[in-house]
Amino acid sequence: MAEIRRESPVDFGVRSLETEVRSDWPVALAYDAEGDGPWVVDLSHKTRWDLQDGQVGELTPAGQSVPATPGMSVLADGILINRMNRTQTSIYHLGSDAPDLPDHPGFTDVTEATIFLALFGPHALHIAEKLSNLDLGDPNKEAPFLLQGPFCHVPCQIVTLEKDAEDGTNGAGGFVLTCSRGYAQSMVHAILDAGAEFGLRPAGEQRFAQWLAALSS
Amino acid sequence: MALTLTCPVCGKRNGYEFRYGGEDKGPRPAEEGMTPSAWCDYVHMNKCTAGVQKEWWFHRDGCGAWFTTYRDTVANLEVDAPEVTE
Ligand SMILES: [Zn+2]
Repeated sequence: MAEIRRESPVDFGVRSLETEVRSDWPVALAYDAEGDGPWVVDLSHKTRWDLQDGQVGELTPAGQSVPATPGMSVLADGILINRMNRTQTSIYHLGSDAPDLPDHPGFTDVTEATIFLALFGPHALHIAEKLSNLDLGDPNKEAPFLLQGPFCHVPCQIVTLEKDAEDGTNGAGGFVLTCSRGYAQSMVHAILDAGAEFGLRPAGEQRFAQWLAALSS
Repeated sequence: MALTLTCPVCGKRNGYEFRYGGEDKGPRPAEEGMTPSAWCDYVHMNKCTAGVQKEWWFHRDGCGAWFTTYRDTVANLEVDAPEVTE
């Protein structure tokens, strides 16, 4: 039997402290000296689905309803559902397990087509301001919400999960973003470079899980 | 000034995020009584208006929506829909 090994195209250039293999993906759980934030976490192993249907608003992926308006997102039970346009929705499984792909022709598993990063903590939104003219902290929107457009000049889906964390730091909060897999190296390079002045550090999946748990509570 | 376009989902955005989809030529003509030359005209012939025309755009680097809007082709600026005068 052939052994399958999946590989995230994201490389932070530092060795992780602790790794586990999950569904053939090596997953970095923690890094040395993660610091007090902001953090960037590679979530490329987390299952992502695309769903297209003329009646997409009436479907219930993973048992949850699709937001009615494009640009709206809902986060429940570790599943983030983002309404992209009239006919299309993206579904990110942020928790540890994803169910099997539903038996409906509108679903496509896009996990291996894109990269998936989280950037959160103090000044996270200030880092984003250096890389995109999209307003991740839009005062007219309530998190979570979806933005679709260029980040580092690369077409991305960006979901602000928290836009004004009360940790005493202006610009604290966080978001996740996906873009085509081939941009991984330049994207990570640009993000780490833009975040250097704020002390941005790579962090493991555990750090993201803590943030997600805090958001959900 | 560079072209900006108003996506119905994302709002006003940089024109470079969009792909042009051609003049809006109205609904596809009926199959009934269609001649090859009439079809050829519908597909290939354009008005090439110097002024305000209705056209299709695709938000390629954004939400993926197709929509129509009006553009002044001389100034290369998006404009409001002209008032219908009949
Ligand atoms: Zn759009």
